[in-house]
Amino acid sequence: MSHPQIAAFARLAEGGALPTRRIFGQKTRLGRTIHGMAYDDVHDEIVVPQPQAQAIMTFRGGADGEEAPIRVIQGPLTLLGDSDDDPDRLALDPVNHEIFVPQKDYILVFDRRANGNVAPLRILKGPDVFRRASGVAVDPVNNVLLVSGSPADGGPRGVMIFERTAEGNAKPLRMIRGPKTDLRGGGRIFSYPARGLILAEGESGTRRNVVSEEANRTPLNEMAHDRGYVGVWSIHDSGDVPPRWMIGGPRGMMLQIRGVALDPKNKTVMISDKRLNAVVTFSFPEIF
Amino acid sequence: MSVTRSWQRKPLFVLGMIGAVTVFALAKGSAERSTQVGGPRLVSIEPLPGEAGMCEPPSPGSSLGVPAAMQQGAGSAAAAAGPNDDARLAASRRRALRVIRDPYAAFAAIAVDPIRDEVVVTDNNFFQILVYDRLANTPPTASQTEPKRILGGLKTKIEFQAGVYVDPANGEIYAANNDTVDTMVVFSRQSAGDVAPTRELFTGQTYGLAVDDDAQEIFVSVQNDSAVLVFRKGAQKTDGPIRRLQGDHTGLAAPHGLAVDPKNRLMFVANHGAVRRMHPDGRPTMGTGGAEGQKTWTISRHVPGSGKNGPPSITIHAIDANNDTPPLRTIIGPDTQLNWPTGVVFDPKRNEIYVANDAADSILVFSATASGNAAPVRVVRGPRTGIKHPTGIALDTQNDELWVANYGNHSATAYKAGADGDVAPLRTIRSSPPNTLALMIGNPGALAYDAGREEILAPN
Repeated sequence: MSHPQIAAFARLAEGGALPTRRIFGQKTRLGRTIHGMAYDDVHDEIVVPQPQAQAIMTFRGGADGEEAPIRVIQGPLTLLGDSDDDPDRLALDPVNHEIFVPQKDYILVFDRRANGNVAPLRILKGPDVFRRASGVAVDPVNNVLLVSGSPADGGPRGVMIFERTAEGNAKPLRMIRGPKTDLRGGGRIFSYPARGLILAEGESGTRRNVVSEEANRTPLNEMAHDRGYVGVWSIHDSGDVPPRWMIGGPRGMMLQIRGVALDPKNKTVMISDKRLNAVVTFSFPEIF
Repeated sequence: MSVTRSWQRKPLFVLGMIGAVTVFALAKGSAERSTQVGGPRLVSIEPLPGEAGMCEPPSPGSSLGVPAAMQQGAGSAAAAAGPNDDARLAASRRRALRVIRDPYAAFAAIAVDPIRDEVVVTDNNFFQILVYDRLANTPPTASQTEPKRILGGLKTKIEFQAGVYVDPANGEIYAANNDTVDTMVVFSRQSAGDVAPTRELFTGQTYGLAVDDDAQEIFVSVQNDSAVLVFRKGAQKTDGPIRRLQGDHTGLAAPHGLAVDPKNRLMFVANHGAVRRMHPDGRPTMGTGGAEGQKTWTISRHVPGSGKNGPPSITIHAIDANNDTPPLRTIIGPDTQLNWPTGVVFDPKRNEIYVANDAADSILVFSATASGNAAPVRVVRGPRTGIKHPTGIALDTQNDELWVANYGNHSATAYKAGADGDVAPLRTIRSSPPNTLALMIGNPGALAYDAGREEILAPN
C-alpha cells in the first residue's frame, strides 16, 4: 500500500464510511506495513511494531492526526530486528505489563512501560522451544503464551502453548497441530482470555495456484483464495484437533485474512482482509 | 472488465433481525467482484452449542474482557464441548454483518502519455490500472470519469502498484508493486481486463519506478532494505539487477519515489527517514527472505537494534551510483517542509524537482541543485488545489503539465507545471463523486478494537 496510517472506524461503520480519526504523518514514525497491533484497554494505549526502524511504538489510545508516540522501544539493547521483517508482530499483556515480540526462532519480552534503548525482560529461546515463531498471543487470565510456527521437532506447523512466563529453553506445554487443524496459513494468532480461546488463521483444502506462476517466486495462491477462515480452538486442546468453530469460511467471502479483533459486548468478530482491502464484521455469539 | 458495485445502508440489529449482507464471491480464476444485497431475515434464538457453563459477557469497557475474566479466575476457560459438524459448517457459512470498504478506486501512482493523450493511474483499492483520456475534464455533475480501459484481476498480478511508467516508444505500461507481490508487470498498450502481463520481472518488494530511456535502464526503490536497484529495460523473469545502491553511507532511508535526470546524470530519491544498518555479514538475496542470488540483489540482513527514525529527505545521487556510495547532495531539514515525501519527478525545462508530500497535502518544488535545509521554491497547496494525500506525481513535458495522484480523494489533478500556491487544477479525473474522501485502507495487516470508544482500529 502507498500510505501508512492507523484508521479508527466507528463500530457500526460500513461501506465507504470514513474513519473517525487517523494517525499518520512524519511525527508518528509509522511505516509500511503494519502487521501487528494491540489495543491496551486497561491503559488506553495502542502498540505497533515498526520494522524499518526496528522499534515498538506506543500511542495514546485517542491519538489523532500527526501525533508522536508516547513511548518508543528502540536501540541496540532491544535486539529488535534479527530478521528481514522484524519486528513484524506482537502481543500485549496489559495485566502483567508485558509486550511479546516474535523474531525468527525466539520471542523477546519487554516491559510495556519501557521507553528507549532497553533490554528485554526475558527471552524464550532454545533448541527445545520452537524452530520458528510466526505469530504470538498471550492469555493473562489462564497464564499461557500462544505461539504459532514450526515446532522444535521439525513436525508440522501449529500452535504451541507455553507457560505465560516461559523463558530460556522452555518446552511447550502442548501443541495443536496436524492435518485436521488446517493450521497452514500465515500464522496469525489471537487469544480471547475470557473464554480461554485461541483464534488462528486456518486454511482448508489443498493449495492450488489461481494462475500459473512463471517468472516470480510469489505463490499466486497468496494473492487470493477462498480456503481461508478464522479457526477457534480452546487453550486446552492438544494434538490433531479440528477447529471448534470456523468464521468467515472456508469458501466464504474472505480472500486473504490478516487481522482479527473481538467485540464481546456485541458478540462480533472483526476480520481484516488484504485482497478485499476491507474490514469485515461477523456476528458470532457462540464464542462469547 | 466490468465491475458492479452497489452499496446500501441497512439496519444492523433490530430485535433479532440481522440486516442485509454483503458477499464478495471469488469467481474461479477471476477477481471480479459481485455484490449481493438482500433483505433482512429472522434468526432463530436457540441455546448455543457449548453454551452450558459460559460466563457472563465481559465488561463493556474491555475489548478482550481481561479485567473481568481476571476477577472470575482461570475457571472461565473451561473448555466446553465443541459443536457438531453440521453446526460448525453452518456457522462457517454465516454471512457478514458489515463490511467497511472504500467503494471507489484509490489512485496511488500516475504516468502521463502525451503521445497517445492518455493518463495512467494505479488503483490501490481494487488493484487495477486505469487508463483515462488525458484531456478528460469531469464535470461536477458526473459521478466519475469513465476510463478508456481497465487492467485488473488475479491474472494481471496487480495489487499495490506504487510505481508506473508508460514507454513513449510503444505505449507499454510498466507497474511496480510496493508490498504484496514481488513482481513488476508490463502490459502492452492493447492489454485490457484480467489478462496476464506481457512481461514480468522479479524485483522484490519495491516502491518507486523510474526509467532512463537514453540508457534503457529501469530504476526501482526498495523501501525495506533502503536500496535502489537498476535493471536493464528489457529485463524479464529472474534477470538480476545490473547495479545496487545500498549501504550505510548512501543516505537512503525508507526510499519511496525516485526520478532521473539523464542529461545531468542525476537520480533523485524521496526518503521517509526510517533506516537500519546493513549487517556486515549480510549477503545479497533475491528479494526479502529469498535465496542467495547475484551480488547485485539487495542485502536484507540488518544489525539488530540499529534502527532509527531520521528526518525525511531527498537524496541526490549520480545516476550510475552503486554499492555504498554517499549521495552528492541531500535536501533535508525543517525548512524543506518534507512530510512523508513519496512521489518525485524531474522537470528538465525548469531544472526543478516536484515532490508529492503525502502527509502535508502539498506538492513541493525544489531547485534540482538545492541542498541542505532548502525551502521549496514553490508550494502547491490549499483547498482550491484538490490535493489530498498525494502519493504519485508525473510531468507531461510536451504540454508542460504536472499531474498528481491524490490517494486521499479518488482523484488525479492536472496543473500548469509552474503552478504555485492555492491554484485550482486545470482538469480533474476522478473515480468518485467530487470531493469524496478516501478511506485509504491499504493491506490492513492487523486489527484491534477499542471497546471504550467503540472503534475499530485498522492499520495499513
